[in-house]
Amino acid sequence: MSTITTPRQDADGDGEAITQRRRSRQHLLSRGALYVAAIVLAVWVLLPIYLISVVAFSTNDAVYEYPRQLIPSGVSAETVTFFINATGVQAAFWRSVLVAVTSLILSTLIGAPAGYAIARFAFRGRDAFRILVLSTRAFPIVILSIPLAVTFINWGIYDSIFSVALMHTALALPFTILITSSIFVSVPRDLEEAAQTLGCTPLMAFVRVVLPLALPGLAAAAIFTFVLSWNEVFAAVILTVRERTLPALVLSSLNASPAPFRFAAGFTMLVPSLIIIFIIRRYLLGLWGRVSR
Amino acid sequence: MTRDIFETRSVTRRGVVKAGAGIAGAAALAPLAGGRASVRARQDGGGDIVFLSTQLTPIEEAEAFRGEVLSGFEGEVEFVPEEIGPFNDRVSAEAEAGTGEVSLIGGQHGDFGSLAEQGLLMDLTDLATELADLGIVEEYLDLGKFGGEQQFYIPWMQATYVMAARREALEYLPEGLTEETLSTDLTYDQLLAWITAINEAEGPRFGLPAGESGLLHRFFQGYGYPSFTGALNTQFTSEGAVAMWQWLQGAWAVANPQSLSYDQMSEPLRSGEVWVAWDHTARLIDAARNSPDDIVMFPAPRGPEGLGFLPVVAGLAIPASAPNVEGARALIRYLTMPETQALTLEQVAFFPVIEGELPGDLGEGIQKEAGAVAATTEDEQALPSLLPVGLGDQGGAYNEVFRNVFQRAVVDQGDIQEALQTEAVALQEILDATGASCWTPDPESEGVCQVG
Repeated sequence: MSTITTPRQDADGDGEAITQRRRSRQHLLSRGALYVAAIVLAVWVLLPIYLISVVAFSTNDAVYEYPRQLIPSGVSAETVTFFINATGVQAAFWRSVLVAVTSLILSTLIGAPAGYAIARFAFRGRDAFRILVLSTRAFPIVILSIPLAVTFINWGIYDSIFSVALMHTALALPFTILITSSIFVSVPRDLEEAAQTLGCTPLMAFVRVVLPLALPGLAAAAIFTFVLSWNEVFAAVILTVRERTLPALVLSSLNASPAPFRFAAGFTMLVPSLIIIFIIRRYLLGLWGRVSR
Repeated sequence: MTRDIFETRSVTRRGVVKAGAGIAGAAALAPLAGGRASVRARQDGGGDIVFLSTQLTPIEEAEAFRGEVLSGFEGEVEFVPEEIGPFNDRVSAEAEAGTGEVSLIGGQHGDFGSLAEQGLLMDLTDLATELADLGIVEEYLDLGKFGGEQQFYIPWMQATYVMAARREALEYLPEGLTEETLSTDLTYDQLLAWITAINEAEGPRFGLPAGESGLLHRFFQGYGYPSFTGALNTQFTSEGAVAMWQWLQGAWAVANPQSLSYDQMSEPLRSGEVWVAWDHTARLIDAARNSPDDIVMFPAPRGPEGLGFLPVVAGLAIPASAPNVEGARALIRYLTMPETQALTLEQVAFFPVIEGELPGDLGEGIQKEAGAVAATTEDEQALPSLLPVGLGDQGGAYNEVFRNVFQRAVVDQGDIQEALQTEAVALQEILDATGASCWTPDPESEGVCQVG
C-alpha cells in the first residue's frame, strides 16, 4: 500500500505544485492584464491632458513645428498669459466658478430631499415622478433658447450669473435626484429606525446617521453638477451678453483663433475641474466603503 | 417665400468691380504711409454701448479691435463677439421682449438677411445719406438695402480670398511665370503644373481649407464655378463645371492629405506643411504678418471665363430693441471715418469700404495682402460674385451641396457627372424651398433660380 501511496502522494504533491504554479501564473497573467488595462486607460486620459499642457506652454514657433514633436523644443507662458490677460477672461473665470458653486449648492439643496423622498416614501405617482424628472432632460434646449431668453429678460434676470446658475441647477437636478435617491436606498432603513428607538428625532436620525453614510453619493452628485456647470455652454451663451462664463467666452472667441490660443484656453479650463475632482475624489473614495458595508 | 425684398438686383457685376476699386485705393496708398494715424472720435457716445458681432471673433482680432480701434471712441463700448446661431437667437429674443442689452450689431451681409426680413432692424436711411458723402462705396450701401428702399445696415469693412505661397515654392514655377507675373497671369492650368512639380520634388505641398470649419465651399461658389463656367447654379452640371471638378481632382492628387483637417491656411503655411494655399484674407494674414519675407501673396488663378472672386462685405446695424440708439449711431459714424477704416485695416486686416485715400502705416504683411487684393479687383478679367442671397437658414445646406460633390467626386474619386446629377436635385430643392432667385454671377432669373 505504502509503495503505492507514496508515488501517489508524490504525484499529488507534484500536481498541487503544478496547479499552484498554474494558479500563480494565471494570477500573474490576470494581474498583468489588469495593469495593461489600467495603463491603457491612464494613457487614454492623460495623453490629451499632457498634449494640451505642453502646447499651451510652448513657444509660438514650437507649436507650428513640422513634423510635430512630442517633447516641445521651447517653453513659454506667452500664449497662456495673453489668454488670461485678454479682456474678460479673468472675470469670466471667476463667474464660472461662482456659477458652478451656486449650482452645486442649489441642486444639492433641492435635489437631495427629492431623492430622499423617492428612496424612502411610497407615495402615489412615485414612478411617474421619477420618469418625469428625467424627461426634463429630453427637451432639446436649443429649441428653448429664444423663449428662455425672452422669459429671463421679462423677469429682469437676463445677463446675470444668477440666471445661468438657475439654468444649470435645472439641468443638473434630474441627475442629482436620481443619484441621491439610489444612494439613500442603499443606506439601510434599520439604522435609521435604530437611531430613532435610541431617542433620535427623524431629523436627527437623518443628520447623524443617514447623511454621513450618504455623503459619498452626495459628493458624486456634487462633482457631476460642478463639471456640468463648468462645461455647459449653450445656456450660458444665450442667457448672457456681458456677464459671460468662461466656456461661453471661449466658444465665442476661440473658434476661429490660432491653435496656441485654443490650447491655452483648453488648459485654463482643464485645471480647475481637475482640482475640484481631485479634492472631492479623495473624500469620495475614503467614504465609499462605509455604504457598501 | 419672402424673397421679394431680398433680390439684390441693384448690384451688378460692374458695380461690385467698382466697389473693389475701393480696396485698390486702400492698397495703393499703403506705401505712402506717414506717421501713425491719430484717431479721435468726433462724436460723443453718451452711455455705454453693447456691440455684438459675428466678425472679429478670433481673440487676437477682438483684442486689437477693442484696444486700438474702439479705444479711440469717446464712449464706453463693450465689444462682444458671438457665433451666428446665438447672435440670431439673441437679437430675436431681445426684439420679442421689447428690450435688451445690445445696441449695435456687426455681421456679414448674409447675417442680416433674415433679421431684416423679420423687421428686427432699424431704418438707417438718413444715416446712409449722411455717410454717402464721406465716400462709402455706393454699391455696398445698396447691398445694405436688400433690394428695397430701407437701409438695413451700413457697410463696415470688407474682405476677399487670395492665394499665398512660401518663397521656396517659387523655384518650381512653370515656364513663363515669375514672382511678378504670378499676380497678373496665373491660370488654373499653370497652378496645377506648379503644384505638381512641387509634389514631384518635395511631396504634397498644396493646401486647401477643407476642414470642418474651413471655407472651401466658397472656392467652388466664388472661384471655381465663375472662372470655369461664368456662372454658378445655372451651370451646375455643365461641361465647364465638369472641367472645374476635373481640375480639382488633379489638384487634390498633389494636395497635402491633411487638407481635410485645415480650417484656415495660415498655420500650415507657417509650419511649412503647405507651400501653396488659397484662403480668406483674414485666415492668411497671420502667416504674412509673422514672416512677410517668406510669404508671397497673389490673386486666385484665371479660368476660361475669367478671374472669379468673392468680395465679402460686413456691415453695422441697429436692432429695433436697441437701448442706446444715439450711441450706436455715433459708433457707426466713428467706425466709418477714414482714419478708423485705415486703423481697422492695420489692426485686423479687414479692408475699408470707403473710397479715396486713407492715412495710416500698414505692416509689411498687410501690404502684401492688400497688393494681392488690389491685383484681384483691378484685373481686367475680374469676375466678382455675391455670397448666396435669399437662402435664409438654408445657407448651410447650400454649402453642403458643394462639399458633397467635392467629397464624392474629388476625395472619393467618384464619377463627376453622377455626383453632380445627384446633388443638382438637392440644390434645386434648397432653391425651391427658399424661393431664392439667381444672384451674381448667374444671370437674373424670373422667379426661383433654376439649376442647370
